[in-house]
Amino acid sequence: MSFALALNILTLLAIYIILGVSLNLALGFTGLLNLAHVAFFGVGAYTSALLTKNLGVSFEIAFLLAGIAAAAFSLLVVLATKKLKGDYLALATLAFGFVFYSLLLNVQAITRGPLGIPAIPQAKIFGITLASNSISFLIFAGLVALATLAFSAKLVSSPFGKVMQATRDDELGLRVLGKNTTAVKYKAMAISAFFAGLAGSLFAHYISFIEPANFYLNEIILLLTIVILGGLASIKGSVAAALIVVLVQELLRFVPLPSMLVGPARQMFYALVLIVVLMTRPRGLFGRVDLK
Amino acid sequence: MPIALQYVLNGIITGSIYALVAAGFALIYSTNKFMHFAHGAVVVLAGYFFYSLFSSAHLSIFLALPLTLVFGSLVGLAVYKLAYQPMQKKRASNVVLLILSIALLILIENAIQAIYGADVQQLSVGSARSSLEFAGARITLLQLAIIASSVVFFIFLWLGMNKTSLGRKMRAVADSRELADIAGIDSRKVIAWSFVVGSFLAAFAGTLIGMEQNLTPTMGTNLMVKAFAGAVVGGVASVPGAIAGSYLVGLAENLGIVFLPSSYKDAIAFALLFIFLLAKPEGLFGIEKGVKDV
Repeated sequence: MSFALALNILTLLAIYIILGVSLNLALGFTGLLNLAHVAFFGVGAYTSALLTKNLGVSFEIAFLLAGIAAAAFSLLVVLATKKLKGDYLALATLAFGFVFYSLLLNVQAITRGPLGIPAIPQAKIFGITLASNSISFLIFAGLVALATLAFSAKLVSSPFGKVMQATRDDELGLRVLGKNTTAVKYKAMAISAFFAGLAGSLFAHYISFIEPANFYLNEIILLLTIVILGGLASIKGSVAAALIVVLVQELLRFVPLPSMLVGPARQMFYALVLIVVLMTRPRGLFGRVDLK
Repeated sequence: MPIALQYVLNGIITGSIYALVAAGFALIYSTNKFMHFAHGAVVVLAGYFFYSLFSSAHLSIFLALPLTLVFGSLVGLAVYKLAYQPMQKKRASNVVLLILSIALLILIENAIQAIYGADVQQLSVGSARSSLEFAGARITLLQLAIIASSVVFFIFLWLGMNKTSLGRKMRAVADSRELADIAGIDSRKVIAWSFVVGSFLAAFAGTLIGMEQNLTPTMGTNLMVKAFAGAVVGGVASVPGAIAGSYLVGLAENLGIVFLPSSYKDAIAFALLFIFLLAKPEGLFGIEKGVKDV
């Protein structure tokens, strides 16, 4: 395996670990069936790309604003869906993702619609340029992934983390005890979205070109595969599943397929893995709770 | 007001197709209590199946259409027997079934894209596209046929649900599966039939979309969100409600673009969906049970 290939796989792995673990905070630990996570990822990517490219904002600031913008957008999602539960919540958030995608396509004055945003400026941290597919970018992405993991591990074992899990297991009981579970949902979702936004910023500056198709509904299947294959409420599971998914995705490139089949083959693979896991081992590799 | 009439007509045509999809979706939801998102995959599969028979194999429409409807019904039945029924036996939650059905939809849509390519496929229907003038508005023969045939299907559906023994059993299972079981109704069989009937309607919608608009592999997802919006507006657990709600969504989309750029057509359906989810999640004619939290 060549050095450049290894760099690419590891950098993508860092991004998908952040996405998978952050979705697990909402879906696995808090029991929020959020299917709009791809939209949070997209908000982060577009925020960071547009700020650095059009307004000349420095990467350090754009990176943080990407997380904050995604968190702010997630508050809107919770505001609109806080009374819904189960499959209704799942489909309402899915529709939110759809709205976001159609805004990306239609608000062309800002997003350039289907043309996407090319030539996104390189990331620079304190004067060091993080070129795409370089050791320095990998180190930065790896540090962000490690920080996400450390924060998430600390969060879920903290008193607030226990309240998150109690909200998932018995919301009514928790409310009887006087806890404001709606506030818990806002906070958990905002934290989850913040990290997804950071991942979006990393993705935009790594790939240097983003388009609406990167954030289409289909992509949620990939994230669900990571979280469900790894197991709900298991951080280690999401890391392991991200590793499997990214490795397989990159190895698929070596299968000689006509280029028009590559995209569908990749999506079919994720969907199949997800179907098989749900039907044979719904708790995944390390899952501790069932989807309710 | 000829222009306004044209928009109303367009709304009714779009609404007819949404209503066919939503009626099947709501029927399956009412007996199963979970959201069969892969219903959209039945629409797409049937559309492409019809395309292969009619445009590629040059079969007559009187042969291709019935074959497509049978094919669609069998696909729906197979999805139930192979995917959902084993999961229901294991007491999987509604959410697991929903995610499973979304994965199935994505799997099937991408399989179609791999076979037929991502390009738009158009069916040539010849003289059916010649149009009539009607009080200043234009409507094609095909569009008239869409409106009329949908209404006929809905009347048959209503008769079937209310006047036949199977329909009464379906309504009994929808009301309470336990009570139906106690009364000696084989609820599994009734549920399987709801998949057959629902998918039959979806397959008809798929052929209509192929003739009236065109076929794309990913149209199922978009269509499912629209039909879901229609079902929520009318009430997810009520078949007549879902039909009425879908016509409303179709009308709102087409009347909305009088005031908004046409690229916002999709956003109108979503706006309606959110207003109802927030203010009236049980819909205009639906049942509140199981929608809201605590």
